[in-house]
Amino acid sequence: MAASVSTALADKRLPVRAAGPRVIRNPWWVRMLFMTTALTFVGCFLVLPLVAVFIEALRKGVGAYFGAFADPAAQSAIRLTLLTVAIVVPANLVFGVAASWCIAKFDFRGKSLLITLIDLPFAVSPVISGLIYVLVFGAQGWLGLYKNAENPSWPALAAWLNVHDFQIIFAVPGIVLATTFVTFPFVARELIPLMQAQGNDEEYAAITLGASGWQTFWKVTVPNIKWGLFYGVILCNARAMGEFGAVSVVSGHVRGETNTMPLHIEILYNEYNFVAAFAVSSLLALLALVTLVLKCFIEWRHAQAREA
Amino acid sequence: MSIVANNIRKTFGAYTALDGVDLNVPRGKLVALLGPSGSGKTTLLRVIAGLEYADPGSGRIQFHGEDVTDVPAGKRKVGFVFQYYALFRHMTVFENIAFGLRVKGRKERPSKSGIADRVRQLLKLVQLESHGSRYPNQLSGGQRQRIALARALAVEPKVLLLDEPFGALDAKVRKELRRWLRQFHDKINLTTVFVTHDQEEALEIADEVVIMNQAKVEQVGTPQQVYDRPASPFVYQFLGNVNVLRVQALAEAGALARGAAAMEANGQVYVRPHDIEVIPHVPGAMGITAIVRYIHTAGPAARLTLEQVKTRETVEVETSRVTLANLDLKVGDLVNLRMRQGHSFDGDYTI
Repeated sequence: MAASVSTALADKRLPVRAAGPRVIRNPWWVRMLFMTTALTFVGCFLVLPLVAVFIEALRKGVGAYFGAFADPAAQSAIRLTLLTVAIVVPANLVFGVAASWCIAKFDFRGKSLLITLIDLPFAVSPVISGLIYVLVFGAQGWLGLYKNAENPSWPALAAWLNVHDFQIIFAVPGIVLATTFVTFPFVARELIPLMQAQGNDEEYAAITLGASGWQTFWKVTVPNIKWGLFYGVILCNARAMGEFGAVSVVSGHVRGETNTMPLHIEILYNEYNFVAAFAVSSLLALLALVTLVLKCFIEWRHAQAREA
Repeated sequence: MSIVANNIRKTFGAYTALDGVDLNVPRGKLVALLGPSGSGKTTLLRVIAGLEYADPGSGRIQFHGEDVTDVPAGKRKVGFVFQYYALFRHMTVFENIAFGLRVKGRKERPSKSGIADRVRQLLKLVQLESHGSRYPNQLSGGQRQRIALARALAVEPKVLLLDEPFGALDAKVRKELRRWLRQFHDKINLTTVFVTHDQEEALEIADEVVIMNQAKVEQVGTPQQVYDRPASPFVYQFLGNVNVLRVQALAEAGALARGAAAMEANGQVYVRPHDIEVIPHVPGAMGITAIVRYIHTAGPAARLTLEQVKTRETVEVETSRVTLANLDLKVGDLVNLRMRQGHSFDGDYTI
């Protein structure tokens, strides 16, 4: 998934051109060589593994394939993944729009620092992202110290936390936090260049025509960024479903409780339950394929909107 | 509605965009803010519109005697037209024009048919009746600018502000559209301020020209006044081509008659290329002796580039093609130059 995301990002800005003028056209064997290399590469490293997932999943027949989903642990993992996505994607959507709005439309001190910080989750390893949360919210971390302190600053809060046995690490909140952190940049990264390119003139025009800030945002800004926004959400969604490293650190691998789909797949695989592991994998792979189809569709619509 | 701005200051960090600028736009006039890029003209327009706020503690802005300095842009009742149109790209032309009416509060908002009538009326006014269902990117630059104008007029503004309205258009369309704007202004009679860096544009259509340079107003006057009596060397040079000749050279050539004594020997005289007369060279005769270096005859008038024999300085001359044909000049010929009219900032000279 990570590979396809990064190639998708790289490809997006390259316009497709017809064959160039004759001067730069290469002899047939050069073209064949490059094309064969590219196709072999794509075949071996992208298509083959994808096909393998489905073949392995169906090795013992359709019954065994669907049997893998009857397992309550598998169902719980799917539910948890969907729950995580349902919280993370809207949160990052709101954050991404707010951050890119600030960055693209206003000038303020520390703007370049903010842009760098948004990129931070891309720069650090997901395992470290998970570890940060363990250190802050774990039993030995700040939250644990606070809960176990003899004289906590806000006694009522500490009491409430202890009474409800509120946990972040090895529980759903930790998984949501870690996933949010890792998928933080997707929407903002997509929108910042788009909004910067569009400038502020349309918003200013709306304001001189008497529109309020709210009206300007919904009637002018949002329609202009909707395709970029949709694209960012799709990428964010794909990553949120597939995230392994950070979630693995904070989840605690409690079967049926804190396992997301990628973690569940790992456990099944380690237990030599290959059919079930590949069956759940195939679900994630299908989601990735749907994401790619949606992405293509959006790009096509976007190109059309621009040409119209 | 008249616009009065007093002592407006605007700084962006260490950069001063407006340095104590005064502006007075009489009601119903078409006024041009003219200046090179970076002179502060667009900033001034945006401060008037409320899109920028002047520095705290600097002067006030009044519309028709009413202080609007602290009124937000949306409540100032200004129509603003942007250089690159800023049409809402995801809306049709109709929706664009209707926008200002649709965002009004429930009480002020016209009915659906009221909005449709108003939009049709505006489309007719800008002569694009049949274009209501198109999108902005299906229109030419000139059409987009007219739609932007119609959109600004939809909310019945009290003043119209145009930021380089013809800047993004090609030369021919620009000329047509500026004449159209002048006629349009005469028809609707709305107080209008437009920003331009094109002196020809400003001189052709404005009632009054405000010339700005380096965050300050250099001169205010009718096109005739600023062209004929520029207040500073900057204005002289900005409003068309000019030769800067040294007084000494003129005096030695006997090309200066009156007032020569009053001028400093190293003073300068500003002479427009069409105010220099070219006569055949006669040794000892009045006028500056010069050699013809280039002859440009493409265009309505002929332009000559000459070099003064004594000072080696270049002089540009513009003359009619008939005159040039009668002189029968070739590159390298010697001629005498006489000034019909010149201008010095120590006093006026007629030669």
